[in-house]
Amino acid sequence: MSFPDPIAVFRMEAAELLEQIEAGLLDLNVNLGDKDQIDAVFRGLHTLKGSGAMFGFEALAGFTHHCETAFDRVRKGEVPATQALVTAVLDAKDHMRALVETPSGDHDARSEHLLARLRQAVEGSDGSAVQAPGGPALTLYKIRFSLPQNAMANGTNPLPLLDELRDLGECRIVADRSAIPALDQLFPTDLHIAWNVELLSAQPRSAIEDVFIFVMDDMELQIEAKQAVLAAAPAAVVHASQSAPPPAPAAVAEAPQAARPAAPAGAPAAETKPAKGSENVRVPAERLDELMDRVGELVIAQSRLSQLAGGSGDLQLRAVSEDVERLSGELRDTMMVLRMVPVAQLFSRFRRLVHDLAHETGKTIELVTEGETTEVDKSVIERLADPLVHLVRNSCDHGLEPPEERLAAGKDEAGHISLSARQQAGEVIITIKDDGRGINKERVRAKAEASGLIPANASLSDQDLYQLIFQPGFSTAQTVTNLSGRGVGMDVVKRTIDALRGTINVVSHPGKGSEISLAIPLTLAIIDGLLVRVGSGRYVIPLSAVEECLELSIEEDMRSRGRSFISLRDSLVPFIRLRDLFRTGTKPDPFQKVVVISTGSERVGLVVDQIIGDHQTVIKAMSKLHHDVATFSGATILGDGDVALILDVGHLVAEGQQQEAHLRAAG
Amino acid sequence: MPASNVNQDRFSFPPIATLRSIGAIHQELLDFIKINDATVVEFSADGQIDISVLQLLEAARLYAGTAGKTIELAEPAAGPLLDTLRRSGFLEGMSAEDAHFWLHQGNIQ
Repeated sequence: MSFPDPIAVFRMEAAELLEQIEAGLLDLNVNLGDKDQIDAVFRGLHTLKGSGAMFGFEALAGFTHHCETAFDRVRKGEVPATQALVTAVLDAKDHMRALVETPSGDHDARSEHLLARLRQAVEGSDGSAVQAPGGPALTLYKIRFSLPQNAMANGTNPLPLLDELRDLGECRIVADRSAIPALDQLFPTDLHIAWNVELLSAQPRSAIEDVFIFVMDDMELQIEAKQAVLAAAPAAVVHASQSAPPPAPAAVAEAPQAARPAAPAGAPAAETKPAKGSENVRVPAERLDELMDRVGELVIAQSRLSQLAGGSGDLQLRAVSEDVERLSGELRDTMMVLRMVPVAQLFSRFRRLVHDLAHETGKTIELVTEGETTEVDKSVIERLADPLVHLVRNSCDHGLEPPEERLAAGKDEAGHISLSARQQAGEVIITIKDDGRGINKERVRAKAEASGLIPANASLSDQDLYQLIFQPGFSTAQTVTNLSGRGVGMDVVKRTIDALRGTINVVSHPGKGSEISLAIPLTLAIIDGLLVRVGSGRYVIPLSAVEECLELSIEEDMRSRGRSFISLRDSLVPFIRLRDLFRTGTKPDPFQKVVVISTGSERVGLVVDQIIGDHQTVIKAMSKLHHDVATFSGATILGDGDVALILDVGHLVAEGQQQEAHLRAAG
Repeated sequence: MPASNVNQDRFSFPPIATLRSIGAIHQELLDFIKINDATVVEFSADGQIDISVLQLLEAARLYAGTAGKTIELAEPAAGPLLDTLRRSGFLEGMSAEDAHFWLHQGNIQ
C-alpha cells in the first residue's frame, strides 16, 4: 500500500485554507464587526500554523503565529478589526502562500516587513484592552479527548493543542496509549493516542473548546467542570500531582478514567462530539482527466458495438449492445457531473483582485457576483480565469471613473462591477458588467483606422466595432498604468475564448457602462449530439442547441428558394442549406429535414438530408491546419471509424441572422 | 530495508524523525525487529522528533513483546525525545515499565 505524500497533501490543504482565510478577510472588510468572520479567519490561521509546524514548515508556522495572535486579540475584543489590519493580513496571507510553496526560499526580509506592518496595524488601532473575563474563581476541568484517527495525516499536530491547554492554567496531561496497536498492525500516520487532562483554570469552558476549534467536528471531546475553587487554594491539587515522581501515576490515572465515554450518564456537564466519517474523497484532477479519456474511448467503442449489433440479426447481441449503450451513457453522465464545478471557485478570486485594484487605483469599487452555483466543466473554469482577470482589470482601471468624475456625472462615488454566470442552451454565459464610462466608439474607430485595421469610414456595426478591442496591441487608453492600457490582454481574452469554442459579445452605453458576455460551451469533453447526413457526409449538431426538427418538402423548398426562410408558429426563421454550404454537389433527398437550432433568443434552421439519430459525441479538437474553419467546432469518431465534423452552433446562428439582416435590408 | 540500519546492531532514527518520514521508518524498524532478537534504538542528540515517533516506539514495544523479542533505548530519553515525551503527556501516568523503557528508571521484576 502506498502512503500519500504528506507534503503534497499539506500543500493542497494549505491552499484551501489560504483561500478560506482570504474569503473571510474580504467578508470581514465589508463588515468589520462580523464576529463569525473574525472567528473563521482565526480558525484558518490557527489550523495553518498547526499543520505547518506538523509538516516541518517552521517558517510558515512561525510567521502565521503572529497573524493568528493578532486575530486572537481581535477575537477577544482587545483590539478592533480595522481595514488596515485586514489589508495587512491579506498581504501576509500571500506571503504564507510563498512560505508553503518555497519553504527553503529566502523570505526573512519580506516576513519582517509584513510583520512590522501587522504590528503597526494592531498597535495603531485604538482598541483598549479588555479585562480578561472571570476573576479569581478557578475551575477544575476534567477533559478527555481523542482526535480523529487521520488527524496527523490531515495536518493536525496534537502537540500544539496540548501546549495551548497548558497555557490555560495549571495542567496535568496524561496520554492514553492503550489503543496503540502492535508495530505490524500500525498505520504509522494514524493517531491512536487519547488524552486525559486535569486543568485548573480561570478560563471559561469556551476557552477550552477554542483550543480544539478547528477539529471540533471530527473529534471526541468531553469537558467536565468538576468544581469551582478559590484562587488561593486550588493550585495544591495540581501541584500535588505535578510533584509526584513520573513513574507513580496510579492515583492520577484513575481520575481520567471517570470521564471515559461510557460514564457520562452521571456527568451532565460532559459533552461528546461523535466522530464523523469522511464524506468526501480528494482526487487529483489529472486522474479525472484520465478517467474522462477512458470514458471517451468507451463511448466510441460502444458506438461501434451498436453499429455492429444493428447490422446483425443476433437478438442477444442487440440486447447486450443496448445494455452497454445504457451503461456507458450513465457512466458518461456520472463522469460529467464529477467534472462540473461551480463558478464560485472562479469568482471567489476576483473579490481579492477587486479589493487590490481598488487600493491601487484609489477608487471605491463594489463587486457583485451572481449565479455562483452555475456549474461548468473544470477544464473550462481553469481556462476562463486569465481572460476574466484581464476583463475585470480593464473594467476597474479604464471602465470605472475616478470618484470625483463619477460624482460630477451624478453617479455613486463607488463604482460597481458585476460578475454573473448562467447556463443557456449548452453554454455558460459569463458576464462582466460595470457602470463606468462605457467604450468610446469614436476613439475605437479612430484607433482602428490609424492602425490600418479598418479602412477609413468603413461601415461597421457596433458589435463589429467593439470586437476590434480584442485585436492584439489595441488599446484606446490614454494612460498606461501598471494594471492595463498597453493593449496586451484583451487579445489574450479573445484567443482563449476562441480556443474554448466560445464567443464574446460586447454591449456599451456611453456614460453608463459596458457589458462583456462570454458564451462558452459547458463541456469540452463529451456532448449529446444529433447525427445528421448532408450529401454523403455525416455531421453532429450539439443536441443542447436543437429546438425542433421539421420536414422540408420539395414544394416548400422550391417555394422558399431565394428567401431561405420558413414560417414557424407565426415567426420567420432563416435557414441555411448545409448541402449548399458544404458544396456536396449531390441532389437533395426528397424529404429533407430542417433542424432548428438556437442560441438564446436567436434561431436558425439547418437543412439536412437525413436525421440519423442521437449520438454520444466525444469531442476531438480540430488540427491546427483546420483552426480557421469557423463552421466546425471539432470532430468525433463514429462507430464505424469514420470521422464526423461537429457543427459550430454559435457561428451558424450568427451566419443565419446575418443572412436575415441582409435580406431585410434588401427589402 | 534502507541501508542505514542494515548489518547494524542498533536501530538509528534519522535526525529528523517526524510524520514526513514515519512511513519509511516504520517499515525499517519492523524489518529490523524481525531479524534481530534484541533491538537497541538510538536517537540523535539534537534531532527532530514528533508524536508519531513516540507512537511508533510504543507499537514496537508491543510487537517485540508478543514476538518474544526485546527493544530498548540506547540512552534514557533526553533532549528532543524527552521534550516530546513531556509535551505529549507520556511522562505523566507512566507505569514502572514505561519509566524503565523511556527513562531507564527502576528495575523491572
